[in-house]
Amino acid sequence: MKNLKEYIPDLDRCVRCGSCRGGCPTLGAIRREWGSARGRLALIRAHIMGNTVDTAVFKKHIKDCTLCGVCEVACPNDIKVTDIILAARAELVDKEGLPLGASLVMKGILDAPKLGPLALKAASKFQKLLGSKEGKSVLDRFKMPYMPMGGPERSMPKLASTFFLETKEARAYKKPPSEMPGGIADGPVVAFFAGCAVNYLMPDLGLKTLELLAKHGARIVVPQAQACCGMPPLSMGDMNTAKSLALKNLEAFEGLNCDYITTPCATCTYGIKETFYNTLSGEGPEVKARIDRFAEKVRDITDLMVNVLKIESGQVTSEAGIEKRSVTYHDPCHLARGLGIRDEPREIIERSGVEFREMKNPCRCCGLGGGVGYSNYELSSAIAREKAERVSATGADILATACPGCMIQIKDSLDTNNVDVEVKHVIELL
Amino acid sequence: MHRFDDNIKKALRDILGADNVTFSGDELLCYSYDATGKEFLPAGAAFPATALEVSEVIKLANRFNFPVIPRGAGSGFTGGSTPVRGGLVLSTERMDKILSIDSENFIATVEPGVVNGDLQHEVIAKGLFYPPDPSSLKFCTIGGNIAECAGGPRALKYGVTKDYVLGLEVVLPTGEIIETGTATMKGVVGYDLTKLMVGSEGTLGIVTKTTLKLIALPEATRSLLAVFNSLKECADSVNKILLSGALPSTLELIDGVSIKAVRTYSDTALPEAGGLLLIEVDGDSESTGREAALIEKVCRAGGAVEVRSASDKRGQRELWGARRAISPSLKNLKPDKLNEDVVVPRSNISALIEGVGVIAEELGVVIASFGHAGDGNIHVNIMIDRTDPDEEARGLKAVEEVFALTLKLGGTISGEHGVGTAKVPYIRMELTEEVIALMKNIKKLFDPNGILNPGKIFN
Repeated sequence: MKNLKEYIPDLDRCVRCGSCRGGCPTLGAIRREWGSARGRLALIRAHIMGNTVDTAVFKKHIKDCTLCGVCEVACPNDIKVTDIILAARAELVDKEGLPLGASLVMKGILDAPKLGPLALKAASKFQKLLGSKEGKSVLDRFKMPYMPMGGPERSMPKLASTFFLETKEARAYKKPPSEMPGGIADGPVVAFFAGCAVNYLMPDLGLKTLELLAKHGARIVVPQAQACCGMPPLSMGDMNTAKSLALKNLEAFEGLNCDYITTPCATCTYGIKETFYNTLSGEGPEVKARIDRFAEKVRDITDLMVNVLKIESGQVTSEAGIEKRSVTYHDPCHLARGLGIRDEPREIIERSGVEFREMKNPCRCCGLGGGVGYSNYELSSAIAREKAERVSATGADILATACPGCMIQIKDSLDTNNVDVEVKHVIELL
Repeated sequence: MHRFDDNIKKALRDILGADNVTFSGDELLCYSYDATGKEFLPAGAAFPATALEVSEVIKLANRFNFPVIPRGAGSGFTGGSTPVRGGLVLSTERMDKILSIDSENFIATVEPGVVNGDLQHEVIAKGLFYPPDPSSLKFCTIGGNIAECAGGPRALKYGVTKDYVLGLEVVLPTGEIIETGTATMKGVVGYDLTKLMVGSEGTLGIVTKTTLKLIALPEATRSLLAVFNSLKECADSVNKILLSGALPSTLELIDGVSIKAVRTYSDTALPEAGGLLLIEVDGDSESTGREAALIEKVCRAGGAVEVRSASDKRGQRELWGARRAISPSLKNLKPDKLNEDVVVPRSNISALIEGVGVIAEELGVVIASFGHAGDGNIHVNIMIDRTDPDEEARGLKAVEEVFALTLKLGGTISGEHGVGTAKVPYIRMELTEEVIALMKNIKKLFDPNGILNPGKIFN
C-alpha cells in the first residue's frame, strides 16, 4: 500500500463535482459534507499539506467511513477513495497507535494463534457464568460488554462454546484429501476459510457450508493454521497486523494442492482475494507471485456453488414449507461492489424455491463495515435503521445475505426497530 | 467576515443548537468549495431544520452584518454556493424531507435539501414524473435546482425547473417568511415572485419549501444512437428531426473530439465518427415506435451511416453509456476544463458548432462540444492545462470568443449553470447597463443590507 503522501496526484484528480454524495450511507446519516467522500478527501488533502487545525476532528471524520465503495462507483475520475482513506488511517495508527480496545482485539486475539482462541474461550465460559443460556439461533440476542462492534448496546451472537475449527467435523478435514485414506476420488478440492465470525460466533454456518460442499461433490480441506482475513485491522489502519495475518494465511493454504478456496463470508472473500496484495505490496515479486496463485483460487461460496459445483434445482433440498415463505436479499458491499457478485446469491434463492422480494436499493451498505461498527455505533445503527425499514417494506419473512458481518448488523437493527424478520445466510436456504 | 466573535457564535448556537452549527476550521473547509474547485473559507456553517430557524439566522445576520450563503449539495459549476466573502454557509442538508406527493392533484411539496433523484424515484413509484434532470440529479438538491433554475436533457420536451415550480416558501434576506405562487396550475394574482426567485442564485431569498408540478409518467421510452461521418451533417440533423414533427424527450449531440476521447480512454464501445446524436423518445409503446422510425429516417436522409435503437432498459443504458463516459474521458486530454453551457436558437446549432471549431483552431486549444443540442444548449468544454499560463490565457480567450459568437447567433451565455462568480466578468456582454441597474435595484429592495450571497451575479 502506498503511503498517504503518494496519493496527492489522486487527490488532485478530485474536481469536487459532488458525485460521491449520491448514495453515500454515512452522508445520508450524518447529513454534513464531512460525511461524504468529497469532504473526507478535502480534509485528507489539507491534512497532508499541514492545514488541518484539529487532529481530533480530522480523525473522527476519517474514521466514520464504512468503506462501502459507493463513491468509487460514482466517481467520474475513478478516484480510489477507500484506498486513500485506508492510507490516512494507517498513517494515524503509525503516528498514534490503535486505541487500546482495538489494539487488544487485533493483536491479542485476531493475530494471536494460540492466545486468541484461549482468550475467547475464556470469554465464552465467562458469558455462561453471567447466566446466559445457549441459544437456539446463532444470532441469539446477547448483550456482550467489552466486545468490539458497539459494546453493550449491540445485540451480538454469543461466542460459541466450541469454535468452528475445533469441531470434530472441521478437524476431520484438517488434512488435504490427497493425504486422506478413502473418500471421493474425484471432484474439486476445496479449501475452507472460516473467518472469525464463522469460527467464533457462527460455527453452525461453517458446518452447514461443509455439508453442502460435501453433498455437491467437493473434496474438502480445512487447514487448522488459518487466521483472520485481515480486514478488521486493515480497515482500522493497523497495517502490521494485517500483513502478519496475510502471511500466515498464505502459509496455511499453500501446499494444500487445492483447486479452490472458499468462505461464506463476503468480507473474508474480498479480504483474501483482493486486499492481500495491497497489504503485502512492497514485499517483493516472490510474495506477489504467491499472492496471485492464492488469490486466483478464492471463490465466494455463492459463486462456487452456482458456477463451479453447479447446483441445480433438482439437487436442492430445501427446508419443508419454504415455498410458502418469502425472502429478501441484502447485497454485502464486499461481494456486490467489491467482487461484482450479485446474481449468484439470487440464483441460490431462486433454486431454493422460496418467494423472492427485492428490497429498495439492496446494495446499500448495512453500516457495519470499515470499522464504523466498532468505532461509532450511533452512526452504524443509524445506517442500519434504513436497511431495517427497507427489509420491513418488502414484507418478507426472511432477510438473506452472504456475510456474517452484515447478518449481525442487520439482525441487531431489526431487533432494535422491532421488525420481526428472520436473518439467514443464503446458503442456509438450501 | 472570516471569523465570528463569541456573541455571534453563542447566538447561532442558541438558535440552532450546538450540534447544528460549526466553527471548526476543518469542518468549515468542507463548506469552502463547490464543483468549481475554488476554496473560500467561511466563518461558520449552519444546519437549520425549519423556516423559522432560517429566519432567526437571517435576522441575526442583519443585526451583526455578516453574509449568509445558502448551499444545497455544493455541486454547482459557477461558484454560486461558495462563501467568497466569508460569513455563514447555510446548508439545507437537514431540510431533506419529501412532505407530500399528491397523486390527485399531481403536485409534490418538498423541502429544499431533497435530492432531485430521490424525488424522481418516489414520484415514479406513484406513476408520476418530475422531468427536470440535471446530470447531477443523483446528488444535487431541489433547492439548488431552484436557485440555479437547473435544466437537463429532457428540457427539450419538458422544460426546466422554473416550469415545475408552482409555489415557494421563502425566507427573505431581511428575515420575513413569505409564500409565493399557488398550489394550482394557474395563478396570476400580482407579480410572479415565484419565477423571480427561481434562478436568482440564492441572492433574493432562501427557499425553505416548494410545491412542484408533476406530470403523468410516460409508459415507454426508446433510445436511438445515430452515427454521422461529418459533424456538420450531425448538427444539421438536430433541427431536421425537430422540424419533422418528432419531439424527442432528449436529443444530445456528441462531437468528434469527445468521441475520440471516449474511444481512446474508456471501455465504452463507440464507432469512429465525426458526430453522434443520442436520442430518446417517450410516450406509449406505439407512439415511441412510430417516432423512433421517423427519426431514424430523418437521420439516414441527413447522412447518418448507422442508427442503433434500444427499447429495453439494458440496451438503453448501453447507448447512454457513451454520454456518461465523455467527462471522465476528456480529463485525459487535459487536466482542466473551462465548461461553458451556452445556448443558441436551435436553427443556429450548426453555425455554433462550426464557429467553435474555428475558434479552437485559431487559438490552438482543444474544445470538446456535446450536450442538449435539441434545446440549443451545448456544453462547450475548453480543455486546458492550468500549469501552462499561455494555454490558460488562450483558453480564457476562447471562452470570450465562444460567448461573443453565441450572442451573435441570438443565444445566451448560460443555459443552466447560472452566473455565480464564474460568469460575472461576462454578463455585460449579454445584459445592458439599464437591465443590470434594474436587477441591482431589485436586489437592493429585497436585501438592503447585502446579506444574502454577496459577490454573485454582479460585482
